[in-house]
Amino acid sequence: MQTNYVMIHDERRCTGCQSCSIACRSENKVPLTVFRLQVQIEGPHGAIPHLHYRYHRVSCQQCENSPCVSVCPTGASYVGDDGIVSVKQKLCVGCQYCLAACPYKVRFIHPETKAADKCNFCKDSRLEREGIPACVDICPMNALIFGDLNDPDSEVAKVLNTAITHKNNPHLGTKPRLYRIPTKRGGIHNG
Amino acid sequence: MKLDRRTFLKSASAGGVYCALSQVVPGTLATLYASPLEPVGQEVMSICEMCSTRCPISARVVDDRNVSINGNIHAAPYGGKVCARGGSGHSLLYDPERLVKPIKRMGERGEGKWKEISWEEAYSEIADKLLAIKKKYGPEAVAFSSKGGSQDRELFYMARAFGSPNVFTHISTCPGGPYVAAASMFGGLPKCDFGNARYIVNFGHSMYEGIEMWEAQAMMKNQVDKGTKLVAFDPRFSILADKADEWYPIKPGTDIAVALAMSHVMIRDDLVDLDFVTKYVEGYESFVKETENYTPEWAEQISGVSAADIVRITHELAFHAPHALVDYGHRSTYTPEEFEFRRALFAVNILLGNIEREGGLFFSQKAKEYNGLAGEKVAPELGTADMQVPAPITQRIDMVADKQYTLLVPYGGVYQSILDTAIKSDPYPLKGWVITRSNPLQTVTDRAKVEKAIRSMDFVVACDVYITETAALADIILPESTYLERDESIYDYSLKFPAYAIRQPVVKTIGDTKPCWQIWRELAIKMGLGEYYKWNDMSEYQLAQLGGDKEELAQLKEKGWLQYGEVPLLLREKKMVADFTKKFSGARTPDADGTYASAMKFRTPNGKIALSSSFVETIAPGREVIRYRDVKMKKEEELFFIQGKVAVHTNGATHNIPMLHNLMSDCSLWIHPETAEKLGIKTGDTIRIHNKIGSEEGKALVTLGIRPDTVFAYMGFGSKNKELKRANNRGIHCGNLLPDVTAPVCGMNLHTTGVTVEKA
Amino acid sequence: MDNIWGSMAQYDPLIWHWVIAVYLFLAGLSAGSILIGIGLRWTDKNIYNGDEETPILKAAALIAPLAICAGLGCLVLDLTKPFSFWIILIRYNFSSVMALGVIALLIYTPLAFGYALIVFRNELSCFPQLTPITKILMGFRKVLEIFLFGMAIVVGIYTGFLLSAMNSYPMLNTAVLPALFLFSALSAGSAANNLVSISFFHGRVEDDQSEAMHRLEFPVISLEILFLFLIFVGLYYQGGAAVEAIASLVTGVWATVFWVGVVLVGFGIPLLAMILPASVKHSRGLAIIVACCSLSGVLALRHFIIYAGQSYIS
Ligand SMILES: Nc1nc2c(c(=O)[nH]1)N[C@H]1C(S)=C(S)[C@@H](COP(=O)(O)OP(=O)(O)OC[C@H]3O[C@@H](n4cnc5c(=O)[nH]c(N)nc54)[C@H](O)[C@@H]3O)O[C@H]1N2
Ligand SMILES: Nc1nc2c(c(=O)[nH]1)N[C@H]1C(S)=C(S)[C@@H](COP(=O)(O)OP(=O)(O)OC[C@H]3O[C@@H](n4cnc5c(=O)[nH]c(N)nc54)[C@H](O)[C@@H]3O)O[C@H]1N2
Ligand code: SF4
Ligand code: SF4
Ligand code: SF4
Ligand code: SF4
Ligand code: SF4
Ligand SMILES: [Mo]
Repeated sequence: MQTNYVMIHDERRCTGCQSCSIACRSENKVPLTVFRLQVQIEGPHGAIPHLHYRYHRVSCQQCENSPCVSVCPTGASYVGDDGIVSVKQKLCVGCQYCLAACPYKVRFIHPETKAADKCNFCKDSRLEREGIPACVDICPMNALIFGDLNDPDSEVAKVLNTAITHKNNPHLGTKPRLYRIPTKRGGIHNG
Repeated sequence: MKLDRRTFLKSASAGGVYCALSQVVPGTLATLYASPLEPVGQEVMSICEMCSTRCPISARVVDDRNVSINGNIHAAPYGGKVCARGGSGHSLLYDPERLVKPIKRMGERGEGKWKEISWEEAYSEIADKLLAIKKKYGPEAVAFSSKGGSQDRELFYMARAFGSPNVFTHISTCPGGPYVAAASMFGGLPKCDFGNARYIVNFGHSMYEGIEMWEAQAMMKNQVDKGTKLVAFDPRFSILADKADEWYPIKPGTDIAVALAMSHVMIRDDLVDLDFVTKYVEGYESFVKETENYTPEWAEQISGVSAADIVRITHELAFHAPHALVDYGHRSTYTPEEFEFRRALFAVNILLGNIEREGGLFFSQKAKEYNGLAGEKVAPELGTADMQVPAPITQRIDMVADKQYTLLVPYGGVYQSILDTAIKSDPYPLKGWVITRSNPLQTVTDRAKVEKAIRSMDFVVACDVYITETAALADIILPESTYLERDESIYDYSLKFPAYAIRQPVVKTIGDTKPCWQIWRELAIKMGLGEYYKWNDMSEYQLAQLGGDKEELAQLKEKGWLQYGEVPLLLREKKMVADFTKKFSGARTPDADGTYASAMKFRTPNGKIALSSSFVETIAPGREVIRYRDVKMKKEEELFFIQGKVAVHTNGATHNIPMLHNLMSDCSLWIHPETAEKLGIKTGDTIRIHNKIGSEEGKALVTLGIRPDTVFAYMGFGSKNKELKRANNRGIHCGNLLPDVTAPVCGMNLHTTGVTVEKA
Repeated sequence: MDNIWGSMAQYDPLIWHWVIAVYLFLAGLSAGSILIGIGLRWTDKNIYNGDEETPILKAAALIAPLAICAGLGCLVLDLTKPFSFWIILIRYNFSSVMALGVIALLIYTPLAFGYALIVFRNELSCFPQLTPITKILMGFRKVLEIFLFGMAIVVGIYTGFLLSAMNSYPMLNTAVLPALFLFSALSAGSAANNLVSISFFHGRVEDDQSEAMHRLEFPVISLEILFLFLIFVGLYYQGGAAVEAIASLVTGVWATVFWVGVVLVGFGIPLLAMILPASVKHSRGLAIIVACCSLSGVLALRHFIIYAGQSYIS
């Protein structure tokens, strides 16, 4: 793999503003009934006055070991040279095996193309055009960091080497490439 | 239902009257065939208008429906970012329910029967009706209101030419508290240097949801990158409270007690910047005397915040002075004693001596000031193409009884005073109302009263992008082009250096809409006021603003944002002044202490900061010195009802926009588990919220994030008119539960009241 | 906090619905009946060389191709792009259980049809066009039978592997599932063979083959119960999110489907019928009722596994 794109969601900065969700919709023409991305605000948890919210980005984890790709009968779900897990719309028959197999439940059937769809790091839109995914580009709080982990000088590499991060459901062996920087209060909860 | 343009025009000219209850409302985008977006340019720099923050944006048309909107990267303080609302502008642009033709009421007010008319017909009818009112009752019988900011000047210019003094912005429903408090103390509103403060105390300014882009960004960077401590007082657990280091669920309306106690502690424990106070402040002694009794223990009794915490926070804050601040807030309608509350917040800042210091309060460096200090023309000063229009002779309705709102009037006056005046014709009749970019049925309190006021008028015109609740009661609705389709005058965005931004069209206009500067200009001409208009279109106006400098204008249009001088300037920061003088050879010579402190100008009667104000005493006897007064906002057995902004909607404006409605279509009432248990209420239950003003049905959200004696809802939901099909009847209509109460001096429209909640 | 991020309906973990449950049932049924049919033919010394096919074998040879076709019909109809189904026939991702399944079905289905031609050669003699093909096939009957038998096992197991290959659902992600599905396929196959042979091919309950088939029922059901038990014990020891899936046995409509449909109707009634006196046991009516119960039980099991299985995620 030439590149190893990863994304970091810094939950200390994230305010759950949904700007990313809207930018994704506009950039990738995602119909209103489905989402490639939501930031769910969970809580408040804890006891007064030490409450806390959790800011949970729900989107494709871009697994290195991606069950969605291994189950896809036609190869419509695939890993590109850039390491990005994506869907070739034309090859998809809509068996929904990948939807079922994705442990993060972030895939959906696109209501217009009828093919499986999900976050593809803007592979065919903003990343291709401007080298940065729409959600990352727009985030008002700079809570999203994106880059190539193969490049030791990239911001992602620096952050991952210095900050405390965690991933969703690591025990499933999927090796997500979406990292979370936890908020300053409360425990770390996966999934 | 799909109509092409031809059949649409035919049906319009056939004079058909339609009912709002049928599928397609006349004049809306749905009546046009789906015309694809026509981009104006590849990437256009403009200004967002999804809320009044008006962030500089850059927009690119993706396909025939989608526009990708992001922040303008040149506008550094705004970070080149937009929020969710800013990102969904094209969803408003393309909403089939958006109004794109002038329409006229056919049935009874609010019945929902509309007919499309031409602009010419609209202008003729409006001119006739307004001139008739002017003839019968005088020009002051027509009120003009616009949300402050986006070309409100054009409406008010027309109003002035028309002869009415009764012009209003939304100020008294929004930030009037700090504006008036600051006007009395500093002669103008300073800004908070959120990005550089090392300690911040916040009273109910939920800026991560009530987003003010440059403030929120600066604050977040400061919090995470520099670990600056933030203390939040809010009866509910807001996102800001979550991001804060400490959260105090303070009792609604009692913040002033804590603020005064903080001053008390500073004075008592010798934490005041006496040097600053001696040089720049008047009325300190009377303030010291007044605060003698405002002990932390006293404040604890009132607010529920422990005395020990108040003392500790005050000491921590003062430790970081002058690079520490108390945020004076934004929406400021939490208590009838708003004026004193906001003065008390400014008072702490004054005692900290943080004025014009990094991380403190500062006044923006507009071109005039900046050029003056630099000794050269660094930035062009904004001119105008407007002419001198004689001031109306009649007194404004909010200034007849007494002069206590004097300080508010320059910002837009007491908006809600229209209601009683119209209903009672006191102090004089108010028979006409021209409303633009304002939705008082949703955003001014006591919905029934607003409706009654409108119904008691002879003629009401609304200019909007939707048939809002308010517009639905108007006689004629004029469709303004959305901000993505229109140009506007140049706006001043100066912060620590001068900056300008400009709005320009991103796509060609869809349907038959116009920008409001054009609407008011054409209407004024129709009313025979053409002599006041020397300019013909916006580019002429813009050019006049820049003194005819075409090159500057072209550059501004290309970049969308221009900032000048590069060196940020705070008058009392030595380092900055040094940099400034290094940069500009002809710069003013610094004071002996290396600052520009002597250049600070406070437009108060004595030119000093009026901690206590003898001027205020003249307009509002008994209010010279900041004082605590008991207030009663609810009955003993009732619960406090408070509101706030939600990140994905704007005030009473965006709830029908498809992409935002899709994120949040409903709001719930936050109730503390203990209270909920007593009332037998569970999350998701349908509940009734009522008081003597009104009654609303809603859904309960049982959460620890609210005080047991308080309930909370995100505002702006529950629109009651049928024309807005998505937003109609979804969620709690806050204005329908709030009494029409006006706070003294600052004229604020109170947003906190008491309610009874029960299972429906 | 209010929901400000929009509808969460799309995150419903329930992706596959009853159509897929029916597909899995039919594929299992097809494989199960042919396995039993061929298996009995191999073990039944009496008729092995006779020219006349037994009613059970006829039933199996009929059910196998029809059920698999109906099943494949369900599968195609359930695609969101049914008209693109051909893509699945020409593009193979060999790491996908589904793609392997397609290959298996592409081999299995023609074999099942071919075998039907052999078994029904007398009945089909009215279609002389078929005779030459049948003749050729007859020459390879043994080979064909072995292949078909083998592929039927593959298909039976495949229906389970399809689900167990996903680690997203703890209840499905177990190696026991293919075994469970294979054995419940045998239950279904034997019940269906019984039903069809009695109804259409003058099969009699006291036939040797029939008796042999009944003797299989007890061990098959016992194994199914054992496998089900293993699945839930496995969940218990797996810990974490998996433990929550055990709740599917006690809560919700699928718990009812399990206890009434799978346990009571599917296992209970056939087991009870076994201990009835021979005279009652051999009545045609009871045989039909018991067969219907077994089939319902298997159908209920597929539904339970599909629905309850997808209700809990890792
Ligand atoms: N109960 C309660 N009431 C409140 C508040 C609260 O918290 N609680 N908040 C208060 C605050 S802070 C404020 S600022 C006010 C705001 O209230 P308003 O001043 O009424 O402003 P908005 O609701 O932002 O928008 C008003 C109208 O502008 C229209 N509009 C949007 N874009 C355009 C445009 O380009 N052209 C034209 N002509 N119209 C346009 C929208 O459709 C909407 O109808 O509400 C206040 N009211
Ligand atoms: N997303 C979004 N952003 C916006 C807007 C919007 O509509 N949506 N509107 C813009 C406008 S016009 C404005 S004015 C600003 C407003 O922004 P803010 O000034 O932050 O106003 P609100 O969002 O109304 O937040 C008020 C907070 O004060 C709390 N509160 C209520 N009563 C009291 C009290 O008595 N004491 C204390 N300490 N707290 C109290 C509420 O719980 C709430 O959390 O936001 C601007 N930005
Ligand atoms: S845009 Fe940024 S801050 Fe907003 S929800 Fe997304 S990640 Fe969080
Ligand atoms: S999160 Fe789901 S869709 Fe994304 S790569 Fe992993 S398995 Fe595939
Ligand atoms: S739905 Fe499409 S992408 Fe997903 S597994 Fe089936 S064919 Fe592959
Ligand atoms: S990376 Fe692109 S596709 Fe993925 S969520 Fe962000 S904007 Fe959407
Ligand atoms: S805060 Fe959001 S809605 Fe308001 S102007 Fe900025 S981008 Fe637009
Ligand atoms: Mo506001």
